[in-house]
Amino acid sequence: MGSGRSLAAYAVARLALAIPMLLILLTAIFVILRILPGDPVLALWGGNQPGPEVIADARAQLGLDKPVIVQYWDYMTNVFRGDLGVSIGFQYRGSPVWTEIAERLPATIELTIGSMIVAVSVGVITGVIAGARRDTKLDVVIRLYSTIIYAIPIFWLGLLFQLVFAVWLGWLPANGRWTGGDIPTPATGLFTVDSLVEGNFGHFVKALRHLILPTITLGLVLGGFFTKTVRANMLQTVVADYSDAARARGIPERKVIFRHAFRNALSPVVTVLGLQFAILFAGAVLTERTFSIDGIGNLLLTSITSKDMTMIQGVIVVYATIIVGISLVIDIIGAMIDPRVRL
Amino acid sequence: MVDEEEQKADAPEAPAAAPVKGKGMWIGIVVVVIVIVILLVAVFGGLFGQPPARKYQIDLWYNNDGHYGDTEDELATVLKNQIEACGKIGVTLRNDPWAVYRTNWAQGLMDVFLLGWYPDYFDSDDYISPFLSTSGAASLGSFYTNTTVDGWITQEQTTTNPATRAARFTDIQGSLADDVPYVPLFSGNAHVAYVNGITDVELHPVSFKWFIMDKPGSNEINASTTDKIISLDPASAYDYFSIEVINQVFDTLLVYEPVTATLMPGLAQQVPTVANGLVSADGLNYTYRLKPGVTFHDGTALNATVVARSIDRAIRLNIGGSAAFLLYDVGALGRDATNGNNTPVGRIEVHPGNMNITFHLPRAVSFFNDLMAFSVSAPVPWNYNQAGEQPSTVPNVVGSGPYRLTQHTANLLVVLDRYATYHTPNLYAGLGIATIPVEDKVTINIRLTATALKQDIETHAASGIDVIYRTLTPTDLTDLLGRAATLGITVDVGSGPQIRYLVINVNRVPEVAARQAIAYSVNRAEIDTLVFEGTAEPLYSMIPSNMPYHEPVFNTVYGGLPNCTAANNLLTQLGFSIRLSGIWIARDR
Repeated sequence: MGSGRSLAAYAVARLALAIPMLLILLTAIFVILRILPGDPVLALWGGNQPGPEVIADARAQLGLDKPVIVQYWDYMTNVFRGDLGVSIGFQYRGSPVWTEIAERLPATIELTIGSMIVAVSVGVITGVIAGARRDTKLDVVIRLYSTIIYAIPIFWLGLLFQLVFAVWLGWLPANGRWTGGDIPTPATGLFTVDSLVEGNFGHFVKALRHLILPTITLGLVLGGFFTKTVRANMLQTVVADYSDAARARGIPERKVIFRHAFRNALSPVVTVLGLQFAILFAGAVLTERTFSIDGIGNLLLTSITSKDMTMIQGVIVVYATIIVGISLVIDIIGAMIDPRVRL
Repeated sequence: MVDEEEQKADAPEAPAAAPVKGKGMWIGIVVVVIVIVILLVAVFGGLFGQPPARKYQIDLWYNNDGHYGDTEDELATVLKNQIEACGKIGVTLRNDPWAVYRTNWAQGLMDVFLLGWYPDYFDSDDYISPFLSTSGAASLGSFYTNTTVDGWITQEQTTTNPATRAARFTDIQGSLADDVPYVPLFSGNAHVAYVNGITDVELHPVSFKWFIMDKPGSNEINASTTDKIISLDPASAYDYFSIEVINQVFDTLLVYEPVTATLMPGLAQQVPTVANGLVSADGLNYTYRLKPGVTFHDGTALNATVVARSIDRAIRLNIGGSAAFLLYDVGALGRDATNGNNTPVGRIEVHPGNMNITFHLPRAVSFFNDLMAFSVSAPVPWNYNQAGEQPSTVPNVVGSGPYRLTQHTANLLVVLDRYATYHTPNLYAGLGIATIPVEDKVTINIRLTATALKQDIETHAASGIDVIYRTLTPTDLTDLLGRAATLGITVDVGSGPQIRYLVINVNRVPEVAARQAIAYSVNRAEIDTLVFEGTAEPLYSMIPSNMPYHEPVFNTVYGGLPNCTAANNLLTQLGFSIRLSGIWIARDR
């Protein structure tokens, strides 16, 4: 019971810390965007500027004629009421920010989850093999691979995959989440899930085929980090006392590796998963662009170029909330596994 | 007894010989004289000799976030090298993302900068008045003002006499070449790639028509594009793709022929002219007779009252970033605050019978018919949102055009399906297209990058994509042109209506001679070769060559190739070494 209270207190404390962090982040973004040069209202009409009264009208419609401090107060109170405002950029003019984010979030979630699966699978497997076969040729190859793959630019790898598997071999679609008009009936926005919900296996396969290249691209690049981390942990656990004890008891080496060394090597990996999710979201921006997937990464890019301040703020809030949430969950899991982590 | 030699050894050393004062002094004097002579030579040389070679300095700005595609930095670099090649102008390249770029030009902070223009209506006036009228020039950052030119612009806008218009356009283009507030560079090309066998894929100068395309053996066309929909409300749309889709789903009083930019009846029975009496002789009254029995996709009637209400709606709402100003300002329909921001009372007249509508203009607008072919004037159903923008989701997009919008997933997909009871399926029968729409369905996939577009058509057998339209990079376009036969596709490249040009802020580059020198330095052919791989068309006037009244004035006055002799003569006449310090002081903020 004492440890349960401690875990709960830890969780509450972490949650409580997240709120001021988000507040500070929002304020910083709000200020930075207003300091930077460029008038998003003027950008609305591109090169065809109408009269000053029309521009003044637009500025009033968007609330940009109010004092900055009033804009800040309005914005912050709205955010905590769940209203992220409306877009003031040319691309999504007048559209609620949350609407645009919600339309694109499923694409990024699908890409992120798929990529994490690839990253963890490939990273863990290669890390275990390399750690168990220290200083062998296989270990050297895997270490070299993990260094190279982690250094490769995501967009370059993506273009390479597109060229080989789509253009030359014609095995997989080159880009996009979907091609054609028969998209799955919307339920979650995740095409893989929606196709299963509607019971259309053909759609499920189509959605998966569009996901393969982007998730492998992003997942492999991030997997390099997991390879190194798991290998480093394996090197310690393979020679740890409990592993030696297991060997002494006559347990086969394979079981020593997978039942003892591997499990203990995996524990620290869980704690870095949260950090890797943040990196994954950052990598998703490039991957979305390369594979023409309209996720929130692409939304952020487009909003930055049009200085769509409310959209930039909204996307960053969502990013931050997701990453804080995932980190919180992982920290709690880590605290459950290892009580030394708790306060 | 002391040894004599010892004495000598002990004897103090004789002092060193004293310096010859006179010799050192003379050396010093000679050195001073030489220095004085050098200084005199330098001073006198500066006063009476040629001043050291100094350059007329300008900042050349360009957009760096892809607003005009991926070739901007290349284009700017080539221009810099061309302008500097004559030796008397120094160019500093600067760049900004679009929002900042837009602000800077509006505030007049840029000396010379690259811009592009896509016409709102297909009339040569739209290539002149936004640039050379005083108000237009202020909007577009040149701040050029010439009351004579303003008068000429008013004359060409208000006359219905083609000869008068031609004469005024000649005068205006002449002033453009003399005063050089802009240097036209090139026309962008329009291009489309499609699988062999598909017919009637026309690079229309105004409106790309999906409903005339034919894919034999199929009732469906799959396409992809990098353009995005901003809004499918005619009162709001002011971007290319939104208007393109609106032109398939909605109708306008007048439409363009499938291949040319000739106006023909759409919802109206005739194109109003002075000759047929539907335009008054003074050009102030335009009457349109509507086709009877036209309905929207939801079955509601489309009549003169609906047309009037739709135009008033666009004007009243005046949605930020929309083309409403083309109606109330350029089109002179007005916007009356005492009448709820609608057109002034009596400006739009609905005749008894509800089939005829007349626009009474306070001043003649010679291209008013073109405005009635623009998407902003498309009628919308009675139940459209009267207080704001109509959502662009499927049940909310209701037009009267040959296609209905049946699917719209933002930034992913647009699906158009045949409207079975379209009012005039034989609209183009006289032009060889029996019925429209030809195909039952058009699916347009939206891609994020030009590379994705190219990949779609490269893998058309697997991707199922039949047509890609807007916009490939010059490199990809050239590559597809070279491999078209192998890929089994056709790639069409034609003149596009978009123009690219340099804007010269006449407040920051006030010397006409300097602006003319820049004009003499530009090599359009080299730009086309180096930057666009031969796919752009050199432009010698703000009016492109495929438009009426075009005159290649910049070719006539400045020649087709750089003329450094002429450029340098102009700059020498300026005496710009003295001017240079003035420029630097002016820039010291």
